[in-house]
Amino acid sequence: MKRLRYSVALALAVLAVARSAAAQRPITVTGLQSLAFGTLLPGVPTTISRTDPVRSGQFLLTGPHNSQASLVFTLPPALVGPGGALLPLVFGGGDAGYSQSLSIASQVGFDPRQRFVLTLSQRGSGSVFLGGAAQPTPTQRAGAYTATIILTVATYP
Amino acid sequence: MTTTAKTALAGLLLALIGAGASPAQGVNGSLTASAALQAPIAVTGAIPLNFQSVFPGVTKTVAYSDVTAGRFDVTGQASTLVNYTFTLPANLTNAGQNLPIGSWTGYVNTTQSTSGGTAITPSAAAGSATLSASGTLYFYVGATVTPANNLPAGSYTGTVTLTVSY
Repeated sequence: MKRLRYSVALALAVLAVARSAAAQRPITVTGLQSLAFGTLLPGVPTTISRTDPVRSGQFLLTGPHNSQASLVFTLPPALVGPGGALLPLVFGGGDAGYSQSLSIASQVGFDPRQRFVLTLSQRGSGSVFLGGAAQPTPTQRAGAYTATIILTVATYP
Repeated sequence: MTTTAKTALAGLLLALIGAGASPAQGVNGSLTASAALQAPIAVTGAIPLNFQSVFPGVTKTVAYSDVTAGRFDVTGQASTLVNYTFTLPANLTNAGQNLPIGSWTGYVNTTQSTSGGTAITPSAAAGSATLSASGTLYFYVGATVTPANNLPAGSYTGTVTLTVSY
C-alpha cells in the first residue's frame, strides 16, 4: 500500500514537471498600432475609444496556451511636443479592453490604471486595446506631440 | 521507501511548489501615442471696404485691387487647407435708409498682394484655400453700391463677415 502511495506521488511530480516545462513557452508583447489622437485644436478635448479600429492603441500578446497573465500599463500623463510642451492625457476606468479572440468587437473592458489579470486563448494569444483622451489647453502650442505607452505582462506557470 | 528517498521526494515537491508560486519574468511591449496640434485660426478685418463719397443716382464700384478695397488677414496652421464663407449685407444702412450693395468681387492670396493669387466671388457658399508656409492668408473684397436718386445724405455702413475654419 505504501509503495502504491509513493508511486502516485511520483507520478504527480512528473506531471507537474511536464506542465512546468510546457509553461516555459515565452510570452511576447507587441505594439501593433499607435494610439492616434490625430489633428487637435487648442482647447478642444478629443477622446479615442478603445473600440476605434483606426485610432485605438493595440497590443498583441502571445504566450502559454490558456495561461493567466498579469498586465500593467505604464501610462504617460502627457504627450510631449515642441520645446517640451506638454499636452495632458487622461485615461479612464473603461479605456482598456481585452479580447481572447483578437477581435476589437468582443472586448472585455478594464481600467488601464489598475493591474489586470487575463487568460490567453487556447492558441496562446490575446489582444489588448487602449483608448484615452487628449486635453489641449486653449493656449497649447502647435506642433507634433508624442509619448510612449508601455505594457508589461507576466505569466504564472 | 528509505528515509533518503523520502527526503528527496519531499525536496522535489517543495521545489515544484516553490516554482509554481513564482511569476514568470515580465516582458514589455510599447506603442506610441501621438497628436498633431493645429494653430488656432485668427481672422482680422485689416482694412474696411470704403466707397468714400457717393452721389445719388451714381453707381460706384470698388474693385478688390483698389486701395480702398476691404482686406481680411487670416493666420493659422501653416500649409493647411481651410474653408471659408462670407456673410454679406444686401444694403448699407443709415437711419433706416438703405444703400444697396452687391456685385461682390474678391481675391485670395497667401501674400499681401492682389497678384499671384486667385480671384473669388465672395458669397455664403463655402470656398477653400491653403494657408501659406508661414500660416497666412489674405482676402480682398470689392463691391458695387447703387444709390437711389433720392437717397438722403449721410454715412452708410454695413458689416461683411468672413468665417474661416479647418
